[in-house]
Amino acid sequence: MSDVLLQAENVGIRFGGLQALEALNLTVRDKELCCIIGPNGAGKSTFLNVLTGTLRPTSGSVRFLGHDIAGLPLHRIARLGIARKFQIPSVFPSLSVEDNLKVARWGVPSPVRPVGELLELVALTDRAATLAGELAHGQKQWLEIGMALAIEPRLLLLDEPTAGMTPQETLATAEMLLRLKGEFSIVAVEHDIRFVRALNCETLVLHQGRRLRSGPFHDIETDEMVRDVYLGRR
Amino acid sequence: MIARDRNWLLIFAVCVVLAILYPFIADGYQLTVIRDALIFGLFAASLDFFWGRTGILCFGHAAFFGIGGYIMALVTLNDAIPFGSLLGIMGAVTGAAFVAAIIGYFLFFGGIRGSYFTIVTLAMGVICQQAAVSWSSVTGGDSGLIGIPPIEFDVGGTHVDLSQDLPSYIFVAAIVAVVVLGLWSISRGRWGTVLTAIQDNEVRAAALGHNAPLRLLVTFVLSAAIAGLAGALYVCMAGLVAPDLSGLLLSTEVIVWVAVGGRGTLLGPVLGAIFIQRAQQTISSFNPSLWPLLLGCVFVVIVFVLPDGILSIYARLKALLNGRRSTP
Repeated sequence: MSDVLLQAENVGIRFGGLQALEALNLTVRDKELCCIIGPNGAGKSTFLNVLTGTLRPTSGSVRFLGHDIAGLPLHRIARLGIARKFQIPSVFPSLSVEDNLKVARWGVPSPVRPVGELLELVALTDRAATLAGELAHGQKQWLEIGMALAIEPRLLLLDEPTAGMTPQETLATAEMLLRLKGEFSIVAVEHDIRFVRALNCETLVLHQGRRLRSGPFHDIETDEMVRDVYLGRR
Repeated sequence: MIARDRNWLLIFAVCVVLAILYPFIADGYQLTVIRDALIFGLFAASLDFFWGRTGILCFGHAAFFGIGGYIMALVTLNDAIPFGSLLGIMGAVTGAAFVAAIIGYFLFFGGIRGSYFTIVTLAMGVICQQAAVSWSSVTGGDSGLIGIPPIEFDVGGTHVDLSQDLPSYIFVAAIVAVVVLGLWSISRGRWGTVLTAIQDNEVRAAALGHNAPLRLLVTFVLSAAIAGLAGALYVCMAGLVAPDLSGLLLSTEVIVWVAVGGRGTLLGPVLGAIFIQRAQQTISSFNPSLWPLLLGCVFVVIVFVLPDGILSIYARLKALLNGRRSTP
């Protein structure tokens, strides 16, 4: 298929004696939105690190537009069109909000979206001159999403984008992502079921490094096995 | 233009005016003292350009000063080389840049940062000084090289001869002003903003498509090139070059000048270098052993009381007065 953007095949990773991930497959098509969920320690963040090329899998491969990206320098991966939002909000605290977005735009050869539009997208227009270090937690998360958008990604990978957000902020973030859905592919790793429910997309459930279930979210939500895992019964 | 930039330009303009007026009140000797202090000020600004913007401390910056000085000396002392002064300066700048590029390449792309970088560059400085002492057939060993001629060159038909006090002062002051202004405009623009971002969070900057090691390397090389330029100017004015010029003591002193003047301000380190050297000359004339003790105390006091350097006194006083006014 020609519209496949990211393809992870049979990905496994082993840290010493620990098999952190085993035989995972994921295909992300152009402009598709999907979620990876699972309880703590299921390997969500590790899988995301493999998808962004920061961790080299011990078996299997990750291909982005047909290129093997494992072990490429970070800036090269970014220039291929993969943007990433880290789990801990990592903005540049000693730069203003506006400069944070500018630094992000300068990372790519020909940015399209002007800074003003980015500020509007992440609802920070009136805080443009504020130092990013002084923002509230939720605003930092949004700023970081804005920075990821600034590099004109083909694929946006979000690691727990709503961690530490209030329920209102979580829903607002989901709405923001749904608005952006038609522009590029989004993969979100999440913990918060309300957020995934609001996105209502293709979902992969991980448990102990393996695929437990995958499919549309409403099928996943009603799945007895998934409920057991989330409630800690298994 | 934001207020901080305006203030910087204002202070810069005041310094330039003072530098222009100084020859009218000073005699020849005083001019040469300030001239030499300005060269060390240029050296301090070169360190600040790297340390102030990247947050990474180079503890062997005198190595580049010394490399520039030795190259300048070797080129100008060789009668077979025409246009000695100009070629010497070019050689000094490229030589220092070249060494920085090689060392920097392995350090930055090898992921060496923070205190590890400081320790490796400390060793680099010691190695350079040792090489200058040991390689006596070229460097003259412990006693160094003497009889380095003053800078002279032709520009557009006019012959420039810097053997006199006033022309050499004007030449050095003009170079310092131009270089400091140039470094400032680089560091406040896009280049400096991205460096600040890298200092804040290098992984994040890389994940946005910035080649952080390359950017750090280029900044380091530029900083070393200017240190080499300062070294070349200095040996021509002093007439001699010695292993001390690439030594640990000078590497330490330049860090003190930058810290006292205000890291990240570029202008502050120049003033810090002038101010501390004047103080050194005055105090050493009473008692030579008193100076290191006092310098250490001043350094500690500055780090604790004015961590942003002497240039921040004005801002601090203003904040203090405003604070008083609002809490009667």
